[in-house]
Amino acid sequence: MDYDALVVGRGIGGMESALKLGDMGYRVLVVEKEASVGGRMVLLSKVFPTLDCASCIATPKMAATAHHPNVTVLTDSEVEAVSSDGGGRFLVRVHTRPRFVDLAACTGCRQCEQACTVAVPDEWNGEMVSRRAAYIAYPQAIPQKALIERRGTSPCTDACPAGIRAHGYVSLVRSGLYEEAFQLLLEATPLAATLGAACYAPCETVCTRGELEGPVAIRRLKRFVAERHYATADGPGVTPGEPNGRRVAIVGSGPAGLTAAWQLARAGYGVRVFEAGPEPGGFLRQAIPAYRLPAELLDQDVANVTALGVEITTNSPIADVAALKVEGYDAVLLATGTPESRPLGIPGEDLEGVQAGVAFLRDVRAGHPPDLAGKRVVVVGGGNVAMDSARTAIRLGASETRVAYRRGREEMPAHRAELNDALTEGADLELLVAPVQVIGDADRRVAALRCRRIELGEPDDTGRRRPVPVPGSEFDIECDVVIAAVGLTTAVETFAGALLGAPPAGPVDERTLQSVIPWLFAAGDLVTGPSDIARAVGQGRQAAQAIDRWLCGERRGLATVPDPLGVVDRAEVLARQKSHSRRESGLRPVNVTPRPRDFDQLEPPIGEEDARAAAGRCLDCGVCSECGQCLPACPANAIDLSMRGNDRSLEVGAVVLATGYRIFPADLKPQYGHGRFANVITGLQMERLLAPTRPYTSVLRPSDGKIPMRIAYVMCTGSRDESVGNPLCSKFCCMYSLKQNQLIMGVLRFAEVTVHYIDIRAVGKGYEEFFEQSKGMGVNFVKGRVAEIRETPEANLILRYEDVDHGTLAEAEYDLVVLAVGVQPNQDLGQLLAAQGVAFDDRAYVDEVDEDYRPTATSVPGIFVAGALSGPRDIPESILHAGAAAIQVAAHLESLKAPA
Amino acid sequence: MSGRNEARTEPRIAVYVCQCGGNIGDYVDTNQVVHAVKDLPGVVVARHAMFTCSDSNQQEMIDDVAREHLDGFVVACCSPKLHTFTFRGVAERAGVNPYRVAQVNIREQCSWTHTDDPTGATSKAMKLVTAGVERARLMKPLHPIEVPTTPRVAVVGGGVAGMRAAIALADVGLEVHLIEKEPELGGHVGKLGAMYPHGTVGTELVHRMLEEIDRRPGIEVHTGAVVSAKSGTFGNYRIAIESVGLRTEVTVGQIVVATGFDSYEPATGEFGYGSPRVVTLPEFRRLLDEAEGPIVRDGRPVRSIAYIYCVGSRCGDRTYCSRYCCSAAVHASLLAAERDPSVRQYHLYRDLRTYGRNEVMFGESRKRGSYYLRFADDDPPLVSIDGERIRLTVHDLLTAGAELALEPDLVVLVTGMVPRANDELIGALKLPVGRDGFLNEIHPKLRPVETVVDGVLIAGACQAPKSSAESVTSGLAAAAQAAAVLRRGVASLDPQVAIVDSGACDGCGECIGSCPFGAIEMTGTGGTVVATIAAAGCKGCGACTPTCPRNAIDLQGYTDAQVRATIAGLLAGRAT
Repeated sequence: MDYDALVVGRGIGGMESALKLGDMGYRVLVVEKEASVGGRMVLLSKVFPTLDCASCIATPKMAATAHHPNVTVLTDSEVEAVSSDGGGRFLVRVHTRPRFVDLAACTGCRQCEQACTVAVPDEWNGEMVSRRAAYIAYPQAIPQKALIERRGTSPCTDACPAGIRAHGYVSLVRSGLYEEAFQLLLEATPLAATLGAACYAPCETVCTRGELEGPVAIRRLKRFVAERHYATADGPGVTPGEPNGRRVAIVGSGPAGLTAAWQLARAGYGVRVFEAGPEPGGFLRQAIPAYRLPAELLDQDVANVTALGVEITTNSPIADVAALKVEGYDAVLLATGTPESRPLGIPGEDLEGVQAGVAFLRDVRAGHPPDLAGKRVVVVGGGNVAMDSARTAIRLGASETRVAYRRGREEMPAHRAELNDALTEGADLELLVAPVQVIGDADRRVAALRCRRIELGEPDDTGRRRPVPVPGSEFDIECDVVIAAVGLTTAVETFAGALLGAPPAGPVDERTLQSVIPWLFAAGDLVTGPSDIARAVGQGRQAAQAIDRWLCGERRGLATVPDPLGVVDRAEVLARQKSHSRRESGLRPVNVTPRPRDFDQLEPPIGEEDARAAAGRCLDCGVCSECGQCLPACPANAIDLSMRGNDRSLEVGAVVLATGYRIFPADLKPQYGHGRFANVITGLQMERLLAPTRPYTSVLRPSDGKIPMRIAYVMCTGSRDESVGNPLCSKFCCMYSLKQNQLIMGVLRFAEVTVHYIDIRAVGKGYEEFFEQSKGMGVNFVKGRVAEIRETPEANLILRYEDVDHGTLAEAEYDLVVLAVGVQPNQDLGQLLAAQGVAFDDRAYVDEVDEDYRPTATSVPGIFVAGALSGPRDIPESILHAGAAAIQVAAHLESLKAPA
Repeated sequence: MSGRNEARTEPRIAVYVCQCGGNIGDYVDTNQVVHAVKDLPGVVVARHAMFTCSDSNQQEMIDDVAREHLDGFVVACCSPKLHTFTFRGVAERAGVNPYRVAQVNIREQCSWTHTDDPTGATSKAMKLVTAGVERARLMKPLHPIEVPTTPRVAVVGGGVAGMRAAIALADVGLEVHLIEKEPELGGHVGKLGAMYPHGTVGTELVHRMLEEIDRRPGIEVHTGAVVSAKSGTFGNYRIAIESVGLRTEVTVGQIVVATGFDSYEPATGEFGYGSPRVVTLPEFRRLLDEAEGPIVRDGRPVRSIAYIYCVGSRCGDRTYCSRYCCSAAVHASLLAAERDPSVRQYHLYRDLRTYGRNEVMFGESRKRGSYYLRFADDDPPLVSIDGERIRLTVHDLLTAGAELALEPDLVVLVTGMVPRANDELIGALKLPVGRDGFLNEIHPKLRPVETVVDGVLIAGACQAPKSSAESVTSGLAAAAQAAAVLRRGVASLDPQVAIVDSGACDGCGECIGSCPFGAIEMTGTGGTVVATIAAAGCKGCGACTPTCPRNAIDLQGYTDAQVRATIAGLLAGRAT
């Protein structure tokens, strides 16, 4: 046996059972879900009826548990399976979650906490104040070591094909750490401004805030960060690694090529980029219209790359890749993209006035726009190039711009925003048509585009419905210009001949992007087919890593994306927004108008104030944003975001279940307004306000920080109440309320405290006397239920209640209302235990099947329960119960030793 | 505890001043206290902490020991009752002798007592801490006295709590003497029928326990027997068991007292008590348990019953609530309704305390037709008996204080528990009795089954009113505590005991009478006779030290020199 006994849960019950068993000489394993031993008691103010400080009672037990030679404690751990071995022993599996902090190295100095850019409601303080994602649970927690709360990868970060930690830079902007945000972007790519202006932002599509008032403007924040850096700093602020003597040639200076060059240069490689065109940037420069991506932004991004010593040779189409190798480059990366438009493949394509989409856009950006003034333009295609072409044609003065597409609007591959903007600017759609022939006039100039109507058939391989021509449906669209934007294609044939006579780049290994020729790699659209900027950036990063690994055998110096955690569930994120406040985006929208005539950038930049407000809307889905600030802040180098959980399989002789209770969620009584009215708090929140480690200096009400002078207690909230499905009495709410009454009167000497109750159940040793003491101090007791609570404009609360003693219904106004919430069964282990045959009672508490003779024994021999998991219990009762469990566990263990 | 440390003349001491969250820090300026003592001779570390008892601070103390080669600590925090063992544990883990820790109480003695005078509280704390430092400078390493223990337990009281404790102790290999005053085991539960909440029959439960006891040869049962005397030291007590003139002495390691309770007996005339148709709750239970079919009392059918709650509880000298009686009365009314579904039942109560799960019975009783009427604390119902008729009037707060009159066939006085009259045992074991007359534990949360008398544990309703299942639970908890002590086989006793300088002692014998524990005797070889003190018997009370005319007795840990230094420190430590 690995341990004599397993104790699940580290509350006061679990600790007591473990200590007693440890004292008896048994080896005990305590498994605790949270980050500290101690349970709820340590968070309380004082305890009734002795008014001892709760910490003073709990901390010695916590320390004793943590240091007992026979007791081992696993925090951050959960029991995932328990099965009986048939002979009275149990096999258990315990999963330990990663803390992302090396406990042996962490000194508890809290530097990480101070560096952390994420604040979330502090569950250890009743969510009345916030804590950081990197934090130490509470001042008395054991171990007093940091942990980083990571619920998963945030959806935005997960969605980014470029591997940019979107949540990270959003939280940095929110904290005013703009340069740090820029550096975080640079870890992925030099193209910060470019992406900030022209990325299709899949991050925003999945942003959880999008399910509320609209997504966080993640992309525009990126542009803000980049522009701010460029306005204030010279160069990227990155020091490249020591030159490692290796050289890499990159063919193509689009997003993939520039990103790969950047990554390799940072790692110490000598990099030269060969660009066929006159200026670097590839598609970014040549095909994306200036109203989406002004040349200045791209220039600034490109300057990042050259600042690291990368040489970009323009006007240098590469025909012979092998020659580069001969020249001395250790590796060559092809990133030439898909620079050519596919032809329409119909008669009449050679007529004057027919243009390829990419060539058209390239001419415009190069300063040689065709004269479209007053002309009728038809753009064939439904992708982003088609939209760019149509919108460019409008800007060049076309009298009529139609987009002819063979399927329906829903099937158009163009980004939705692009399509909508094109329509706003005046493009017309001609849907479900396929061009058949370009009709020319006598001068061989375009006169019309003959099309055929299309019906949609069965879905094809891509899931889109297959276009089926309708026979005899030909018709002509009269026009002067036809722009073909039906797809893009590579231009490898320009240098393919140099390489074994076959297109060299295909196929490459999907993971390493390495071709059959080991030194030759390929990345970007050349590999994936036409995609978008972010994907090309991702490919560039991937290629750089692969080249680095191939040349140097290990990941050296390259910023690597940590192995992703699973993406966090957005529904879970929304569910934890208990007091979500509505926050509109507040940013000026993109300025799209009908019939624009210039190529000015449409989207206005955002200022600092707007940026911080926009970043402030982030819901911190994964909690930790992976901004990375804690890593350099930790003096002990203890933080390891790559840490992963582990599982242990153990054999134990007995099990003590001590996972305690759940607090009744007060929002299940909507008529009391908890969660809606700031000054309606729960008894547990009042405990925190009164505790020695309280969040504020005194008892203050949450709405305005005023000292409350009239305080009401609403007893039996969620107890003795069939309307919430709990007819049971929760046993300790009367007493903790009486205790709080006395403490409040000690702190706020002039406060009036009124208790609305049904019966005061002071049924333990010294409890009745404690009740009398409260009465003697002047607490006002009113018998009768509270029907509802309303809020006044001053955030005071009006209670409507029954005054049974006087036979009246009445109303009274209070500054603060405390709901004396009761308990609910903790069903965390419900299924796991039920599968083992552990019986539950009709209220879902663990059933003590022989309570009169064997209290704490469950229906399974060897499995015991200690504390409130089997029914409401206060602290002294839980401690006695835990002792009773311990001696019976001992008896069970002795029976295992005895010869059968 | 290296020899090097012990050999040094000026010890190296660390002072930790606790803020106890706000408990101390809100009133005592701990920074000033630190400042006042940091330059005292011997003090090499002085600082304050939010919670000195927290694990993080404990770790810092351990680190300080390693870095500063400390010989001892002064911890200025709460009462030593709370944390002596905590800080001794820290010292032990750090390699410092645990008896070189001085705890100074600046919470109960400063911050809590002088909430109206933070300056005064701070100044007092400075003096106390200075005194603590002076005492600590003279502390010598001491080592616990290890004594083998007897693996045997005396359980006094043979009700369900005691019987169950005995069975549990036998199950973990300890011998048990189960001692019951009555001729038979079983106590109150042994006379009961069905009990709430599971319907377990009391007589059957006791029968089951008797069978289990029979099956365990390690349990020796003494019925009709009492414990009349106790002597010895922790882990090895001699107790005398007297039974019909027979006196047996046995040695036990621990003693569990589970002597139960008495039922409140109303005075004649109290709510009509004395009339055959006014009964107490236990009497009513016998009425229900001992017959079947419709209820008959005094030869007449009982068609209506009125229950008056809190008779003898929450009133007069008995300020406490008896806890079990609300639930027991509601349960009895359910049994009555089962016997005769047409019986009308009226419950006259103050607060209905069917706590926890028992609330279900309360709901059930209302479904079965019980009426509940609530009277004010200072306005109890009046019972008048007029020959055959009982007339009961009550102002019911649930109907706006209207006066209602009832003429029930039977009145049940819901009587609670009172402390058992048990002076002999209380005297023999020196049991601590609380203000309510029940036996007192040391601390309801920290040490809920232990008493201030070492080795004597309490369980069941002798501690406070409890239900049967609750008594069994506490009996088991006491068994756990006894087993936790005895299964180690050795007890560590406090070495802070008195010692005699045999060279100085002239054998006058003055000290012998001063020892309340009988730990001093005169021993001698040849012509010289000197006093010797049995370390295991001495409690360190210090009563003997001032009696010695030759100053030959000193109390380790509180030597005369230390007490003088403490006083000097108190006088020297002035507020700045």
